[in-house]
Amino acid sequence: MIGIIAALTLRQLLGRGRTILLGLVALLPILLALVYRIGSEDTDQSEWVAQVLYDGLVVTILLPLLAVVYGTAALGAEIEDGTAVYLLAKPVSRAKIIFGKLLAAWALTSVTVLVSALVAGAIGLQGVPGHGLLVGFAIALVAGSLVYSALFLMLSVFTSRALIAGLVYVFIWEGLINGLFAGTRLLSVRHYTLAVADIFVDLPRGVFDAKLGSVPAVVLMIAVAGGSVWYGIRRLQRFEIGEST
Amino acid sequence: MLRDVSRWYGNVVAVNGMSFTASPGITGLLGPNGAGKSTVLHMLSGFLKPSAGEVTVLGEPAWGNPELYRRLGLVPERESVYAALSGYEFVRLNARLQGLPDADRAAREAIRLVDLGDAADRSTDGYSKGMRQRIKVAAALVHDPAVLLLDEPFNGADPRQRLHMIELFRRLAAGGRTIIFSSHILEEVERLAERVLVVVGGRLAASGDFREIRRLMTDRPHTFTLRTSDDRRLAAALVAHGSVVGVEVGDGRLTVRTSQLGAFARAIPTIARSCDVTLRELRPTDESLEDVFAYLVNR
Amino acid sequence: MSDEGNASSSIYDLGYRHYEGVRVGRRGTLLTLYTHGLRSCFGLGRRATSKIFPWALAIFAFVPAIIQLGVGAVVSGFDQKIELFKHEDYFTYVRIILVLFCAAVASELVGKDQRNRTLSLYFSRAVSRFDYAFAKLAALTSAMLVLTLGPQLLLFIGNGMAADDLGGYTSDNWDLVFPIVAGSFLVSAVIASVGLCIASYLPRRAYSTAAIVGTFILTLSIAHILMNSIDPAVARFFLLGSPVAWEGAILWLFRVDPDARNVLTDADLAGWVYLLAVLVTIAATFALTLRRFGRVST
Repeated sequence: MIGIIAALTLRQLLGRGRTILLGLVALLPILLALVYRIGSEDTDQSEWVAQVLYDGLVVTILLPLLAVVYGTAALGAEIEDGTAVYLLAKPVSRAKIIFGKLLAAWALTSVTVLVSALVAGAIGLQGVPGHGLLVGFAIALVAGSLVYSALFLMLSVFTSRALIAGLVYVFIWEGLINGLFAGTRLLSVRHYTLAVADIFVDLPRGVFDAKLGSVPAVVLMIAVAGGSVWYGIRRLQRFEIGEST
Repeated sequence: MLRDVSRWYGNVVAVNGMSFTASPGITGLLGPNGAGKSTVLHMLSGFLKPSAGEVTVLGEPAWGNPELYRRLGLVPERESVYAALSGYEFVRLNARLQGLPDADRAAREAIRLVDLGDAADRSTDGYSKGMRQRIKVAAALVHDPAVLLLDEPFNGADPRQRLHMIELFRRLAAGGRTIIFSSHILEEVERLAERVLVVVGGRLAASGDFREIRRLMTDRPHTFTLRTSDDRRLAAALVAHGSVVGVEVGDGRLTVRTSQLGAFARAIPTIARSCDVTLRELRPTDESLEDVFAYLVNR
Repeated sequence: MSDEGNASSSIYDLGYRHYEGVRVGRRGTLLTLYTHGLRSCFGLGRRATSKIFPWALAIFAFVPAIIQLGVGAVVSGFDQKIELFKHEDYFTYVRIILVLFCAAVASELVGKDQRNRTLSLYFSRAVSRFDYAFAKLAALTSAMLVLTLGPQLLLFIGNGMAADDLGGYTSDNWDLVFPIVAGSFLVSAVIASVGLCIASYLPRRAYSTAAIVGTFILTLSIAHILMNSIDPAVARFFLLGSPVAWEGAILWLFRVDPDARNVLTDADLAGWVYLLAVLVTIAATFALTLRRFGRVST
């Protein structure tokens, strides 16, 4: 049943407009990497890939943007246009519904961001050893994608404005506030992702600094993802159709 | 299945202390827009929690009970269905989500029931409003539910489709199912419902067969239309009688209003004979659901 | 109801009546659309949920200015000048908040009419398509002005109070006023125009919200990355199409040279070029928006 729901959600998420726009966005790192290889002088390639491309673009912007769009649309789109009834008025446990949707959103986000990051990274690192960098970030991206997707899916059960809420979280909380107050990084999925990358990636602190310990990061990732899923299920069990105005 | 149920949103009370039980057969929820019909249906279908009271379907609570959906089918009001699927795929999807072992067969059967066989393989994007309504009904029937809830099912259906659906619902009800539907169109409720629940302002204003409701409305004069051999003479004699409240002559018809149904019914033959007037037709004119309804709404 | 004495009956037409009175004219319609747009930006006259994000973001925009104000009030009397935030830097801080505000609100302004197909109602009245688009742009720009000019004024006053002589401070720093006002207008207008353009082409709320945020953030990021990755002489032209250009224009208005670490230093372009680029952006996106409303089916 989870598979059926995941497949259904996947089919809905891959609507034409959305896929084209997000595909273009995912293309950007690849283009940038090409431009970098063609146009740059001798700079440290692994530094560029880790710091500029991955930390600066992929993890900070691409990953959360994709996760927000797919995560909130997985259930949110149906709730908004009224077709959620068909899914919910079925003898399917709410947990299975959430898991199915999460699976679809996570898979789609992960695949998109991985293809983008790995191809761009491979181009950027061409001729230079550094596959540990790619693998490390790949794992981190998949993990981060799971936590983001769970978080945004849960948000979409709570409110129809989950998309803008998610964007505010990403760019104000994780962007502005985490930059100003170091303590808040404990509650930032972006930093969890970077910390996971840190486990596998072996670069000097000056080049890439995750700013958060790996162990607390993993623990918190599991907590946030698990909490989001649990909370989302509970809320879905108490789902009410709003009064139509 | 509702017991003293209320639902409010902040200061606004949508449903106020309603109780009723719907048994197998067709029950119509009638009421003006905003009276709370949709709210009641949402509560029955488990998508709204009552603020007070209990809502049970087939003996089980409606709220927070996904297993109930094995025996409950719901046709929502909103027009949208999953996009870019053919009618058949849509119904089959519903069957699979129901966990039916042979989803294909169930889907085909449901489509046959609503008579959409030839359009089933077309995308629902191209369906007319009536067709979309029918495919929604098929999706709700695919698991052969004992209870079927429909929110404004006749919205936008053309007369032929409406007749077809009415016939379909009658057949389903005859098979022992409980069908509850809401509408604000009197004609449809009159034609289809065996039992009517009149909802006004969040309260249950009346329930039962609408003709019987009419009879219960004793504080309102009944109106009869007569055709006789001499309207005016009979009218003059009737006015003298105590049970008659008003008389109107015109157009080859005589309209009489009486506040005492029984006394009038007994008296009319005698009066007619004493004036030497032949009664050709005697018809109650305000027993239609419309009059009942207008009365209840304005009470 | 005159009776001619003949007792002949007539039925009087009490239906549709023509309005022969004063008509407000173009200014009236513009003003109405503008006010309505401004109100809907802040969710006034709507449900509570449409107020949350605009108001929360507005508060956010004011926070540093309030802090400065508080600090200024507390330390007034000391000889030092405590300036936590420079005016020109404040624009950079508030940038992301403005973008999110625009994303939250643009779809309500411009997408909703298209989704509900009420656009044809507007255009069947005496509202030209230009007026409609212009009024919406003016409304959104004004809403964002609250978030740009407002904190800037508070900041000015805060600094003045820290210097313990508001009047003297004002006359000393009079030359700051023009850059503050012009800069606020500039930033508000460019974000509003681009955001409105995107929202008018993508009426569905989810699409426009994500697209607006994505566009600004990605152009910013790409501009920075390119400056870091390839020859600045080539990359600097990408700055012109990115939010960095706003920064460039503002610094030029304030007659301040950019920080050594700032990307703009590497770019080494004359300040007025940025101003020009921003103005061109505003004009171009507004033209696109007009085009959209010219073609929308009614």
